[in-house]
Amino acid sequence: MFRFSLSRRALLYPVALTIGLAILPLSPAAQEAPEGGRLVVAADSEPRDLNPAVVASNGVFFISSKVIEPLAEASYEGEDGLEPRLATSWEGSEDGLSFTVNLREGVTWHDGEPFTSADVAFSALEVWKPLQNLGRIVFSSLEDVETPDEHTAIFRFSEPTPPQMIMKAMPAVTAVLPRHIYEGKDIATNPTNTQLVGTGPFKFAEYRPGEYYRLVKNENYWSEGEPQLDEIIFRVLPDRSAAASALEAGEIHLAAFSQVPLVDLERIGQVPGLEVITEGYEALTYQLVVEINHRNEALADRRVRRAIAHAIDKDFVVDTIFLGYAAAATGPVPKNAPEFYNPDVPVYDFDVEKANALLDEAGYPRGDDGTRFSLRLLPAPFFAETRQFGDYLRQALAEVGIRVELINNDTPAHIKAVYTDHDFDITVSPPVFRDDPAISTTILVRSGIPNGVPFSNQGGYENPELDALIDEAATTVDTAERVALYNEFQRLVVEELPLINVAEWSFTSVASEKVLNVGNNPRWVVSNWADTALEP
Amino acid sequence: MREFAARFIRSPEGVAGLVLTTCLLAMALSAPYLFPRDPLSIVGRPLLAPFADPAFPLGTDRLGRDVLAGLMHGARTSLLVGISAAVVAILAGAIVGTLAGFSSGWFDEALMRVVDAFQIVPGFLLALAFVSVMGASLPLIVLAIALGAWTGPARLARAEVLSIRERDYVAAAWVIGMHPLEIAFKEVLPNALPPVLALVSVIVAGAVLTEAALSFLGLGDPNIVTWGSMIAEGRNVLRTAPFLSIVPGLGLVAMVLGVYLLGEGLVEALARRRIRQ
Repeated sequence: MFRFSLSRRALLYPVALTIGLAILPLSPAAQEAPEGGRLVVAADSEPRDLNPAVVASNGVFFISSKVIEPLAEASYEGEDGLEPRLATSWEGSEDGLSFTVNLREGVTWHDGEPFTSADVAFSALEVWKPLQNLGRIVFSSLEDVETPDEHTAIFRFSEPTPPQMIMKAMPAVTAVLPRHIYEGKDIATNPTNTQLVGTGPFKFAEYRPGEYYRLVKNENYWSEGEPQLDEIIFRVLPDRSAAASALEAGEIHLAAFSQVPLVDLERIGQVPGLEVITEGYEALTYQLVVEINHRNEALADRRVRRAIAHAIDKDFVVDTIFLGYAAAATGPVPKNAPEFYNPDVPVYDFDVEKANALLDEAGYPRGDDGTRFSLRLLPAPFFAETRQFGDYLRQALAEVGIRVELINNDTPAHIKAVYTDHDFDITVSPPVFRDDPAISTTILVRSGIPNGVPFSNQGGYENPELDALIDEAATTVDTAERVALYNEFQRLVVEELPLINVAEWSFTSVASEKVLNVGNNPRWVVSNWADTALEP
Repeated sequence: MREFAARFIRSPEGVAGLVLTTCLLAMALSAPYLFPRDPLSIVGRPLLAPFADPAFPLGTDRLGRDVLAGLMHGARTSLLVGISAAVVAILAGAIVGTLAGFSSGWFDEALMRVVDAFQIVPGFLLALAFVSVMGASLPLIVLAIALGAWTGPARLARAEVLSIRERDYVAAAWVIGMHPLEIAFKEVLPNALPPVLALVSVIVAGAVLTEAALSFLGLGDPNIVTWGSMIAEGRNVLRTAPFLSIVPGLGLVAMVLGVYLLGEGLVEALARRRIRQ
């Protein structure tokens, strides 16, 4: 093992070498396919626990997805939008009570042990179902995983579980852990969580707090000829402006997750050698949502909610707040999920007069100062854009005579105020669409969710018709029927407006032009990067 | 009085300070008449450069809000917070200082240890903690700033009171049977006050900066425009639209400098009178 520090000199060394090589005509290196090299990537957060099977979050996936693989990865072209990884094929039964997965043969863990169906059974029963935030929902009725042989796993469910939902959830939820390391020990505190062992194209080498994570090539990766890179360095750069300057200085090759702020993209796109890439985030769509507390008497009136929807200029939000890097939303399912998206829903145009008329009709006339009533607005502090939209919403509602008092909180205080104490009237929230409405969308409007569950219906909205529809769709196995139910779900949500979907957005990457195969699948940033290459 | 004014006019820093503060005061007072709309309302195209459109002489910000309106209304907030915080701090400081200095003994000791306790915590941290616990609204911000500023006046007032209480007229007040509190606040405090008042300019300038820093960190009241929040907002677009941070930043410089110079001029004019006496 050699020691190295990420000094500028160390990073410039290969650059100098390349210049040297380029001067030599017809050097053999120039003709070969780009293989090897060290990719340096900016990491904006520094998760200590990297176990993706426990914490399904983008910050964890960003690093761990190169080391620990799921059963299947999202894909632009593949069947069902999937590409095989540790599974080679999969099939759900007609009754929705079982789901069979055939596993890849000849795969070994980074410590040399063979990968078998026992690892999958262990991960599903001991980790995904009881411990993982999304797995809890997807595998809620999982009873057992049978392993008739080393390369077959059969998931048995007590309630009909739609295979479509499992397939949609596979990339994010099914990271397989090595049973021989985790079995019999406490999973959440296992030291392997910080020193990952997986089957992926890269092995976890070291982590220096505050400096970097280093991954090295897995020579025994199951896919012949992959990975292309020798090393990936995730350099910890929490300051957003630092990432932009590091890119310009050539110190890093890639900054993902919009680490370069939107306002700087136009400028940095002009820098020679750098490009702005918006592909590779389609399966990580965020939704800008106005969540409503239906305990407020005025907001319990559908006409008032519709008036608010009419008061919001979605084009302004997309063009000015997101600088065009977003799309106006029509309902609770984003356009990026074409198999579920239903465009045939009621539309609330930006129309101040109509909003005023609706509010008058609802019995809230303007007072002497032009104000009808007041609302407390808590914008979520997670993104600059959610705060800015809060500022905008205050002004947009002032136009229709609703006085808004903004209350800014830090993250824990915000989550407590909204999702536990219900101490708000409206809030701006950025939920993530997790590829299937059953995973994280329906809980935004379903009634009967216990207090304190973040990003769920804590506004006290109750609609028996909608609840029945959600419950029916959750256990409908047939894909076409299921989609039809979710189409109806979207229509009903937009008609009743338990919440108001304003826009949909995702992140952008800024990468050096030398990095090849960037953004070639819908979850590229959090996929395994086996085919990512670096031009010398 | 006329003599005092003449002396004041002779000091260049005093005059400069007076001019600056008068201008800012005029801005603050005229803001609601020149810009009757909410300065946070969206009025034009976003990110308009200064001097490009006569309707928005200082341009517009990321959401299309008028920077000039923000600057004028921001002056109002800054001055309001600065002056209110100074009044609260001087009032609290003078009362505590007088009580401590006049009573002496264990009560003095106890009060002064409280003052020490406040003094060892940096004022800004105190304000930060107070606002994050209590929430952000203008009166609370004023209180938070005063919390870190009242100790200076308290110490000064106590020191003055210690010397004044030995004077003959105080002894006379005792003899005629005045209530001790009456002596403290009617006889002693008014005479101890002038040196304490010299601290006003320093406290106002500090309070303006603290308020800006709180707003910059997102701990200000988000429903009113302040220079600190304008700078924080502009920071996101620093490289494409630096004027959004520079304009309110200049306002801040002018305000702090103006108040400080005015204070200097006043102190100097007062000091000369004393020397002559």
